[in-house]
Amino acid sequence: MQDTKLIIDEKEYMVNSELTVIQALEDIGIEIPRFCFHEKLSIAGNCRMCLIEVVGAPKPAASCHLGVRDLRPGPNGEPPKINTKSQVAKKAQKGAMEFLLANHPLDCPICDQGGECDLQDQAMKYGTDKTRFSENKRAVENKDIGPLVKTVMTRCIHCTRCVRFSTEVAGVSELGATGRGEDMEITTYLEKAMDSELQGNVIDLCPVGALTSKPYEFKARSWELTKTESIDVMDGLGANIRIDSKGSEVMRILPRFNDDINEEWISDKARFIWDGLKAQRLDRPYIRINNKLREVSWSEAIDAVIEKVNETAPQKIGCISGDMSTAEEMYSMKKLMDNIGSGNYDCRQDSSKLSIDYGRASYIFNPTVNGIEEADGIVIIGSNPRIESPVLNARIRKRWLTGNLKVSLIGEESDLTYPYNFIGNNPNLINDAKKIGLDGCKKIIWLVGESVISRDDGLPILSKVVEHALNSGSISDDWNGLSILHTAASRVAGLDIGFVPSVDSLSAGDMSNGGETDLLFLLGADEIEISKGTYVVYVGSHGDIGANRADIILPGSCYTEKNGFYVNTEGRLQEINRAVFPPGKAKDDWSILKLISDKLNKPLDFIDIHSLRKIMFHDCPNLLSFQLVDDQYHVNLKKLASTKGVILDNSLDIKIKDFYMTNPIARASKVMANCSIQKSKKQ
Amino acid sequence: MTDIFYTYLLPTAIIAGKSLFLIVLLLVSVAFLLLADRKIWAAVQMRKGPNVVGAFGLLQSFADLLKFVLKETIIPSGADKVVFLLAPLVTTVLAISAWVVIPFDNNLVLADINIGVLYILAISSLGVYGIIMGGWASNSKYPFLGALRSAAQMVSYEVSIGFVIITVVLLAGSLNLTDIVNSQSGDLGMLNWYCFGLFPMFVIFFISALAETNRPPFDLPEAESELVAGFMVEYSATPYLMFMLGEYVSIVLMCSFGSILFLGGWLAPFPFLDFIPGFIWFALKTCLLFFMFAMVKAIVPRYRYDQLMRLGWKVFLPLSLLMVVLTSSYLVLINHFSNNL
Amino acid sequence: MKKINYFFKGFFLIEFVAAFILAMKYFFRPKATINYPFEKGALSPRFRGEHALRRYPNGEERCIGCKLCEAVCPAQAITIEVGPRHDDGTRRTTRYDIDMVKCIYCGYCQEACPVDAIVEGPNFEFATETREELFYDKAKLLSNGDRWEHAISKNIEKDSSYR
Repeated sequence: MQDTKLIIDEKEYMVNSELTVIQALEDIGIEIPRFCFHEKLSIAGNCRMCLIEVVGAPKPAASCHLGVRDLRPGPNGEPPKINTKSQVAKKAQKGAMEFLLANHPLDCPICDQGGECDLQDQAMKYGTDKTRFSENKRAVENKDIGPLVKTVMTRCIHCTRCVRFSTEVAGVSELGATGRGEDMEITTYLEKAMDSELQGNVIDLCPVGALTSKPYEFKARSWELTKTESIDVMDGLGANIRIDSKGSEVMRILPRFNDDINEEWISDKARFIWDGLKAQRLDRPYIRINNKLREVSWSEAIDAVIEKVNETAPQKIGCISGDMSTAEEMYSMKKLMDNIGSGNYDCRQDSSKLSIDYGRASYIFNPTVNGIEEADGIVIIGSNPRIESPVLNARIRKRWLTGNLKVSLIGEESDLTYPYNFIGNNPNLINDAKKIGLDGCKKIIWLVGESVISRDDGLPILSKVVEHALNSGSISDDWNGLSILHTAASRVAGLDIGFVPSVDSLSAGDMSNGGETDLLFLLGADEIEISKGTYVVYVGSHGDIGANRADIILPGSCYTEKNGFYVNTEGRLQEINRAVFPPGKAKDDWSILKLISDKLNKPLDFIDIHSLRKIMFHDCPNLLSFQLVDDQYHVNLKKLASTKGVILDNSLDIKIKDFYMTNPIARASKVMANCSIQKSKKQ
Repeated sequence: MTDIFYTYLLPTAIIAGKSLFLIVLLLVSVAFLLLADRKIWAAVQMRKGPNVVGAFGLLQSFADLLKFVLKETIIPSGADKVVFLLAPLVTTVLAISAWVVIPFDNNLVLADINIGVLYILAISSLGVYGIIMGGWASNSKYPFLGALRSAAQMVSYEVSIGFVIITVVLLAGSLNLTDIVNSQSGDLGMLNWYCFGLFPMFVIFFISALAETNRPPFDLPEAESELVAGFMVEYSATPYLMFMLGEYVSIVLMCSFGSILFLGGWLAPFPFLDFIPGFIWFALKTCLLFFMFAMVKAIVPRYRYDQLMRLGWKVFLPLSLLMVVLTSSYLVLINHFSNNL
Repeated sequence: MKKINYFFKGFFLIEFVAAFILAMKYFFRPKATINYPFEKGALSPRFRGEHALRRYPNGEERCIGCKLCEAVCPAQAITIEVGPRHDDGTRRTTRYDIDMVKCIYCGYCQEACPVDAIVEGPNFEFATETREELFYDKAKLLSNGDRWEHAISKNIEKDSSYR
C-alpha cells in the first residue's frame, strides 16, 4: 500500500494508490453515483454514471475504472487534480442519468424496488426533472428465470452486475447480454431457469427493479419494514442476515455485510426461507390421546410432561437436540437433564462422531472463512461445499479465481464451480498421501464434510486426515488446516456446551433405537427417526418429522422469533435477534424448559435470558473463544491422529440429497418446494 | 246526596277543570315562547334558528318534548334518588302553582285572593328549594356550586323585588292583583300605569326578575362555560325537561307579574281600544316583556359573581329602599294635603 | 367628571339601550346562515370531503397499490395490503382501509397518488350511527368512487389548470 497525494475538489488528500478513483473517493467520504460498479465484482464501466472531471484530461473520466495510479501530475509536478462537483462533472452525470432514464419506464409506483432503488435515489440527486426524449420508450420481454427471481426487463439499465455476479461469484455462466445498443437484453440465452444456489443475490445487486424477488412480489414497501439484524441458521456458516418484518410477519430476508463470513452474499435457502416460517407452525400445545393429537392448554401439557418425568427412571430419560437450537436452549436442556439426573443428551442427531475429547480444534473450521483466501491447497473429503454451504463455496471460488490454488476431492464428484483434482470416491484413498498430491503447498485446508464424520468409520477417517495434516505441516503455530464443515447451525455450540453423552450414557443413535429410553425429549430434532415404544416430547416450531412422532408437543419459536446465540462452523459466536413474536401460544424454547424445571421442583438457576447467558458463558468459556483453541491443541490433535480404526470401503456419499429440503422450515416452505421440483426436473 | 254533589264535588270538578285548562294553556304557550326565545336569539345573531319541525319550526318545542320524554333517565349512582327526582318536580309544580292568582282579565282569575302579591312572593321564593335540592342530590361538585350560587342569587334579588312590589302596593293600596290592575285604570290610559310613575322601580323589577329566574346575564347557576350546566349537570331526559319547564313557566310568570304591576294588566293602553278583550292586552304585554327577556339574553354578557352580588346589595337594595321611602312620603304628603283641603 | 359620566351612563342604561338598538338592527338583516339540509353552500373544487377510490372509464380500478398514500398519511389512517391479482398478476391492493375516524382530511393522499385513484370527493355528509361504519374498506371506497365519479372528475378538471 502506497499513498499518493491528490487534489480533489480543490483540497489535498492522501489516498491509497492501489485503489480506483471511485474507491479512493469513497474512503475520503465523497459519494460518487454509480450503477455498474460493485466492490465485489469486476469493473465494467458501462453505466457512465460515475463520471468525474480529471483536470487536464480532454473529457470526463469514469472514476470506477480509473486507477489512482493512472492519474497524471500537473505540468509543474503538482499532484493530480480531479473535480467531482464541478460543472463538467455535474453535467456529465446529469447527461448519463438522462440517457439511463430515456428508456427506463416510469413505473416506480408498481415497482418492488421503489423506495430502495439506486436509480430512483440517484435520479433525485443527480438527475433533471424533465426529459428531452420524446420518442417511444423501448419495451423488453420479461424472462422466466426460475421461481425465485422475477424479471421486468424493461426496467433494465444494462449495468451487467447480475451477469458479472453469476459468472464470477456464483460460477455458473447463466446470465448474459445479447444484442447491442438499444437492442441489448439480459437473458439466460435459452429461456432456462437459473441454477445457482446464490441466484437471489442478483436481486440485491440489481440497482433497479429489473430483477426482484418473486416470493416477495408486491408484499411490502421498504419503508414500512422493521429491520432486525440476525444470523442465518440454514447451514453451519452463520451468514449475517437482516430480517425485514412488518407487524407479526417476516416479509423478507436480506444479507448483511460481514467480510469475515459471507461478504455480502447469502444462499437462496437463507433468503427465501421466510414463507416456511408461516406454514406448518406449531402454535399451541398438543397431547396425543388415543393416537390422535389433541389441543391442550400449556398447564395441561406441562403437567403431562411432569407426570411422565416423575414416573420414569432418570437413566431412561433422554434428549436429542436439533440443528437449529440456540446455545441457550441446549444449555438449559442440558442443565434440566442434569437436574433430573440423566446424562443422556446428544446434539448430534446425525450420529456424528465428533467429540469434545480432542479439544475444540478437532471440531471446528480452524482456518476460518477468511483463511480460505490465504490457502494454497484444499482437500475436500466427502463434502459438497456448494450444497452444504454455498457462500463458503463462493469464497473458495473467489480464492481459486486469484490463481495458484490446488483443489483435490475425495468423495462424490459434482460441479463445484471450480475445477478440482478428483481422486476417487473411496475413504481408503485417504491412506495414501501421495495420491492427494499437494506437494509444495504450505497452507492446506483439509475440508472434512459432515457426511464423513457421521459415518460409522467417521473417527478413523478423521484421525487419518489429522495425521496427514500433521505430516504435511498444515497444523502448525500459524496455520491449522483441519476444517470441519458443519451443516447444522447449532452443532458447534452444542459441542462447546458439552451437549454430548458421557461414556456411560446414551448417544443419539442409541436413544432413537428404542428400548433404551422410555421418555425422549426432542429439542427441535427433526432429522432422526425415533422407533416405537418411546414416549416423545417434542419442543419445536414446525410440524415435521419430530412433531409427527411426538406424544406431547410443546410449541417453541423459530430463529426469527427469539434471541439467542449460535456458534458457526468456524467457532464464531453470533447473536440472533427477535424480529417477530412466535405465533399463537408458542413460547421461547428456553422458557418452556425453565417452566418444566420449576414444575419438577428442580428449578434451573436463572430467571431470564440475561441470567441464563451469564451462567452459560461462565460454564462454557469455549463459546466466547473464537479461534482461541487451547494451547494443547497440538497434543490433542496428535492424540486424535493416533487413534486407530478400520476405514470401511463403501463410497463417501453426501448426506444432503436436496439443498432446498434440509430442515423443517425449508420443508414447510412452498418456495423451497418449488425450487426443489425445478431442480429435480433438470436432472 | 245532591247536597254533597253541589256543595263539594261540582265546585271541585270545576276548579280542577279550570286548573287543567290553565295548565294546558300555560304549557302550550310556554312551548311557543321557548321557540320565540330561540328565534329571537338567532335573529340577533343573524341565524335562522330552528326551522325544520313544522312551518318555521313552530313544532320544534314539541319535538324537543318528545325527545326529552323518550330518552333514558340517567340517575347518577352516588345521587340521593328520592331528592334527585323530587327536585325538578318541586320546581315545576311551584312555578305552575303561582299562576292561580294571576288575573288574565277582569274577574278572569282562578283564585282571586286578597293577598295575591304575598302568595306569589312566597311561592317564587320556594322555587330556590328545587334548585338546591337538585344540586345537593346530584352529589357532584358542579351542580353543588351551581345550586349554592343560585340560592345566594335568588335570596339577594328577592329582597329588592320585595321592596319594588311594596312601592306598587303602597300606591295601589291593596295586595290583591286585580285591585292593583284596577288602580292603574283611568282616563289617561297608559299614562296611569305604574311603569311611568315608578319607572326606576320598573327597571329594577325587570332586572331582578332576570336574576330571580336565572336568565342571562344572571345565569350563573347554569353558566355553561364554567359550570357546564350548573345544578342541571347530572339531569337528563324528563327530569331535565321538568327543570327547563319550571324555569320557563316562572319566566312567563315574572313577565305577567310585571305586566300586572307596571303595565296595567289587561287594560288597554288607550281608552278607545277598550273594545279589544282584556286578556289579549294582557297576553301582548306579557309577550312584550318576554321579548325584552329574550333580547337581554342576546345582547348582555354574563355577570361575574361578585358583580352580581354588588349589583343586588349595593345598588338595587338602597335604590328600592329609597323609592319606598319616597313613595311613602309622597303618599303621606298627598294624604296630608287632601285631608287639609 | 369621568366618574360622574360613568355613573350616569350606568344609571340610565345608556349602553344597554345602544346595544338594544344595535341588536334590533341586526334582527332584521338578511340571515347569514342557510337552510342547511335543504340548501347547501358552494363548495370549492378543491374541497376535501369523503374519500373515494376511482376507476378508469373502462371500469378498471385505478389503484395500483404503490402505498404512497399510506406512507404520506400523517394520521396513519390508511392501511394497505398488496398482492398480484390472481387473473392477470398486476399489482393491486388486496386490502385498502381508511379509518375515517383517524383521518384529518389533509388531502396528502390524493396529492401523493400517482394515478389519481384515491381522492377526497365533495361529499361531506357521511355521518354514521356507529363508529365501525367509519372504518372504510376497499369495497366501500370503490362504491364511493362510482357514486361520486361525475362530481369528482368535474372537480379535477376544474382544478387542473392550477396544477
